[in-house]
Amino acid sequence: MRVTNMVPDMQYAMQQSQQALSTAEEQVATGLRVNQLSDDPAASANLVASLAQSANVDQYTSNVSSLQSQMQMADSSISSIVTSLNSAITAGTEGANGSVTSAQRQGIATQVQGFLSSVVADGNATFSGSYLFGGTEAVTPPFVAASTTYTSAKGSAASPLSSTTALTAGSVTTISDATTGETMTFKAKAGNTIATLQAAVASAVSAGTLSAGTSATVNASGHLAIATNKSADGIVVSSNDAALGSMTAAPNTGVANAYAYVGNSSVNTTQVGDSLSVATNLPGNLLLGTGSNVIGSLGSLISALQSGTTTDIGNAVSAVSAALTSVRQQRMPLDNTIGELNNQESYLGQETVTLTSQQTSLVGANTAQTATALSQDEMQNNAVMAAAAKVMPQTLLDYLK
Amino acid sequence: MASLSSSLNMAVHSLGAATASLQVTNNNIANANTPGYTREIAVVQEATPNEGSVSSGNGVDLLGFQSVRNELLQRQIEQETTAQSGANAQLSTMQEIQPTFAVTTNDIGTDMSALFSSISSLSTNPSSTSSRQAVLTAGQNLATAFNSASNTLTSQQTGLNTQVTQDVSQINQLTKQIAALNPQIAELNSTGKDAGTLQDQQDQLVLSLSKLTNVSITQTNEGVTLTTGNGTPLVAASQSFALQTTNLGDGKTHVLDSSGTDITASLTGGDLGGTIQTRDTTIPGLLTQLDTLANQFGKAINAAQATGYDANGNAGQNFFTVPTTVGGSAASISMAISDPALVAASSDGTSGSNGNLVNLSAVQTKTLPSGQTPSNAYASLVYRVGSLTANASAESSATTASLLQLNNQMSSVSGVSIDEESANLITYQQAYEAAARVVSTIQSLFSTTMSMGTASAA
Repeated sequence: MRVTNMVPDMQYAMQQSQQALSTAEEQVATGLRVNQLSDDPAASANLVASLAQSANVDQYTSNVSSLQSQMQMADSSISSIVTSLNSAITAGTEGANGSVTSAQRQGIATQVQGFLSSVVADGNATFSGSYLFGGTEAVTPPFVAASTTYTSAKGSAASPLSSTTALTAGSVTTISDATTGETMTFKAKAGNTIATLQAAVASAVSAGTLSAGTSATVNASGHLAIATNKSADGIVVSSNDAALGSMTAAPNTGVANAYAYVGNSSVNTTQVGDSLSVATNLPGNLLLGTGSNVIGSLGSLISALQSGTTTDIGNAVSAVSAALTSVRQQRMPLDNTIGELNNQESYLGQETVTLTSQQTSLVGANTAQTATALSQDEMQNNAVMAAAAKVMPQTLLDYLK
Repeated sequence: MASLSSSLNMAVHSLGAATASLQVTNNNIANANTPGYTREIAVVQEATPNEGSVSSGNGVDLLGFQSVRNELLQRQIEQETTAQSGANAQLSTMQEIQPTFAVTTNDIGTDMSALFSSISSLSTNPSSTSSRQAVLTAGQNLATAFNSASNTLTSQQTGLNTQVTQDVSQINQLTKQIAALNPQIAELNSTGKDAGTLQDQQDQLVLSLSKLTNVSITQTNEGVTLTTGNGTPLVAASQSFALQTTNLGDGKTHVLDSSGTDITASLTGGDLGGTIQTRDTTIPGLLTQLDTLANQFGKAINAAQATGYDANGNAGQNFFTVPTTVGGSAASISMAISDPALVAASSDGTSGSNGNLVNLSAVQTKTLPSGQTPSNAYASLVYRVGSLTANASAESSATTASLLQLNNQMSSVSGVSIDEESANLITYQQAYEAAARVVSTIQSLFSTTMSMGTASAA
């Protein structure tokens, strides 16, 4: 074949070697084998999935850290409750001693009131602005001082409410009982009246949700009044029904040492792994209310100490001891969750390393190989340039004199 | 019968042949680097011998000049040029689109992950206003990423309209020039003369035309007849058929033939064909994939919102505003809520419940109607962009290498070798010198003959 001009071949060879050199330099500079999608489309696509997984792992790690703080705060509050209960048992045991005077028992009762206040404060502990033990009712204190009577804002002597007053469909009225530790929730339907609510309260009493004698009536002032019939039984009432307006405690109806739980029993879960979620809260009614009856037992101990009956005091101390045992049992899942979070923290750390390694293998450049390739490409480019410089200027005319 | 006159005549013809050869060699050397130049040779042959009692040679006849060309190779080069230009057209556009889908701090994939991370973070404290705001911010960033990617694709489409107009204008100029050369070349060929120079010009014009679109070439007595790949006439004899461009209301520049028929879809190859394919097939395909993801993802998030309650205890509203139909979803997707309280985290209406966040998070691993999870759907899009670019690059490289080989072959046949022409120079120079010596010798013989029979001779 006639070879007329070697320049095009040389230009092509130089371009190819310079392109290879440029690629090698880019890989060394960036540390990446894949610098644009077209360098390796499959690796680029797999990187998308890997990075999404990395983002999840990073968030799980953040969730673990956040929950560890929250759980430790909750555990600290429970520790404080345990301390208060132990102190109350000690004080109650002392108060049951026959040699203790009445005045001394009153002093001990005052001490136990202090322990009760401390327990309620711990029950109303917050973390990042949310109540820890209110279930999913996180913006209002779960434990509220109870009163015997709550009255509606709506109604007056001139324009009284009545049993036929219509309630707002969809509205919710709750009555939390400090004695039973239970909550009655009434959701109004279309056509419901105050009479419907009254019937619901009666049913709740029959069921034991509310203390015996609790009722809803229209008082002489025309307001709806929801009240217990014992001075020792306290309730907390809330309503968002526009027909009733807000429900507030009637003056001077507070019940000493009585607190109702106005949270709920819902438990939140948070994902801390692809297939691992943990419960993030312990509802206060389980911790201090019905399940453990901490508040009720402390209230009973206070009453027993004030009444002076050693038998009653002994029984009350036993109830507080039982409540303490129950609190310790309720605490166990929380401790387990804390342990689970600690383990998950370690696992996620390993996952992060694994994913980073995966991403490096997908798009990263092997430093040694890249440096070697760069060196080789430099040599190749130099060789091509040298060959071009040597051959290109030569023609027959150089030899014809 | 042999005579001094006939010998002189032969020598003169030899001088002529050598001169012509030298002229051709000179022309070849002068045009050694002229693009598209086809080397020429002087066509000489032995003259018809004298017939008589003794037959003798009659010297050399110069028949003419001839270009050394290979039509088959020329056609192959034109076809490969068409393929290369088409690949380059696609490659240049894809290289501009590619960065939009690369992994950055605000590409769609990263923003999608950020949205799910913010939802997961909110689950640790569903009452937190700042955490709720973070979810809205992440949603806005994702919507913006979709808008931006769609805008990039549609902007490229609009830009390619300009390219179509430019290519058609160039095609019309070239076909006009090619048509003008046809009668000139035909006349030279009909008189047996070499039309090499004009043919070279025409070949270069056809090659330039091949860069723009796929052309079909037929040689006739009246010159080349050119049509597009699907048969639309471009050049016939001395007539060229101009193409037109127009906008038919769909935002695209359409190409019409000389009779007004829309031939846009049938144009393949070359810069014009590659541009049209990129504008009308490649980019719409990517847009459909992007729009489908935006639409289905947005609707999935909205459906998850609807199963929960916001911080006010009300049923969850739409999170994103997406059109009912898929088309345009990526361009128009936007946030439907701006109040952090409207994030439907709760499953029971209470403010502290995070029960519905698991439904929102589940969208990440949910199989959308397209058959893929959102992450996999985006990964598929990334792969498609990358492989389209890689394929165009590979084709461009392959056609470049192929063209180099074809051009080398063409050069081997039609190219000028300085070394060869240098050797020819010497050859023809020596031939000329030899013929001139013959002329001198015959002149001397004439003088001797003329002085025969004179007194000085006796």
